[in-house]
Order: sequence, then C-alpha cells, then structure tokens
Amino acid sequence: MAGVHGHGDPGLQPERTSLAWSRTSLALVVASAMFLRWLPTHGWYAVSLVFSALALAIVINSTQRCRYGRGSATIRQEAGRASVGAVLALAVAVVALSAVGIVAVLVLPVP
Amino acid sequence: MAAGETPAETTGRGRLAARMLRGGTEPDPRFTLANERTFLAWIRTSLALLAGGIAVEAFTADLFVPAVRKAVALLLLVLALVLGSGAFFRWLRVERAMRSGTPLPLPALAPILAIGGGITAAVLLVVVVLRPA
Repeated sequence: MAGVHGHGDPGLQPERTSLAWSRTSLALVVASAMFLRWLPTHGWYAVSLVFSALALAIVINSTQRCRYGRGSATIRQEAGRASVGAVLALAVAVVALSAVGIVAVLVLPVP
Repeated sequence: MAAGETPAETTGRGRLAARMLRGGTEPDPRFTLANERTFLAWIRTSLALLAGGIAVEAFTADLFVPAVRKAVALLLLVLALVLGSGAFFRWLRVERAMRSGTPLPLPALAPILAIGGGITAAVLLVVVVLRPA
C-alpha cells in the first residue's frame, strides 16, 4: 500500500467518498452504543450486537486508505468501478442489525 | 478498461461485480463514486432510524406504556430494515442504468421514508395529546 497515487479531479470525489464512509462508520458506533443499553437485560445478546457493529466500523476505517487509492485509480483511468462487495456487505450488515433489533423487541422479555 | 496497468488497483472487478453488473460500459468514475455516496447517505438514514428504534425501546420505559413503546420502536426498526435493503437495490439499479446509459430510476425510497416518518410522528403526537396531564 506504499503508493497511494493522487488524482486530477478538482471535485475531490475520492476524498468525499472516503469521508462518507467515515461518517457511516461513526453512525455505526452510535448505533452500537444504543445496544449497550440492553446490556443489563439482554446480556450476551447485547454484547454480540455491540461488538459486531463496532467491528464493522473498525473494518471500514482500516480499509479507508485502500478505498481512497482505488477511487483515485478509477478517476485516473476514467473508468468507474463499483465497490459491489463493500456496498453489499454494509447493506447486509445494517439489515441484519435491524432484523436482530426487531426480534429483540418482539421476543425478548421486557424488563 | 485498461486492466493490468496498476495491478494492485485493477484487480477490483471481481466475480461479484462481473455477475451483478454485467453488460454496458464502465461509467464515469465520478458518477460511480456519487452513487456510492448516495447509497451511504441512505444507509446512514437507516442507521439513524435503527439507533432511534433501539433508543425508544431501551430508554422510554417510564414515558410510554409498553404497547406504545413497542409500536414506535417496531415502526422505526422496520423502516430501518426497509431503507437498508432498499438502499442496496437502488444503488444496484442506478449503477446498471449508468452502465447501459438508460434513464436513472426514481427514488422509491424517498416516499417510503416520508410516509414512515409521518406515521411515526403522528403516532407520537396522538400519544402525547392523549396522555393524562
């Protein structure tokens, strides 16, 4: 990863895109903090939710450099390359967190 | 596309991309990145609703009766789920439209969010108005 090259885009698209991923990872941290409130009543269920949301945020942040380099490369090559894997993985994770939240509200005992 | 120019960077179009986005030509990279940011904005909206739903369930025990608390939390969480999955399909359809040069699909998610948010707000309003002083 030594050579993350620049790009000639005055619209700063790669930078804005990696910042959008950063904001998303922060939103994940906020969501994971909400699950902390279930800790006293839901125990391990809550712990696993907190850690999976935090792990996803960490993965997003640790791949930022790679993402910026990839975005710059597509600008230099004038050929867009969709990040299908990252987009699909994030969507699946958010849907799973919502589904697990719905299950918790419906099934788990109210304190 | 000039494959093999910068090997570490061009290995990107893997099997998944080839299968889900076949046909057409590689679009303007600025538009691909803009589509990705729009997807992320929808995902953050979904995450905000998720956090809101969990917060209602976890923090409003002495504010709402259990039925209201459950209903509002479920409304927000279901909306989060719908927007989260809808965000992906919208991203995919926009990317496909850009590859083939066809008109972009309308954002069906926007009215869903507006109606869902409106229903939730209306439920809360009724609850607040009917609450004994």
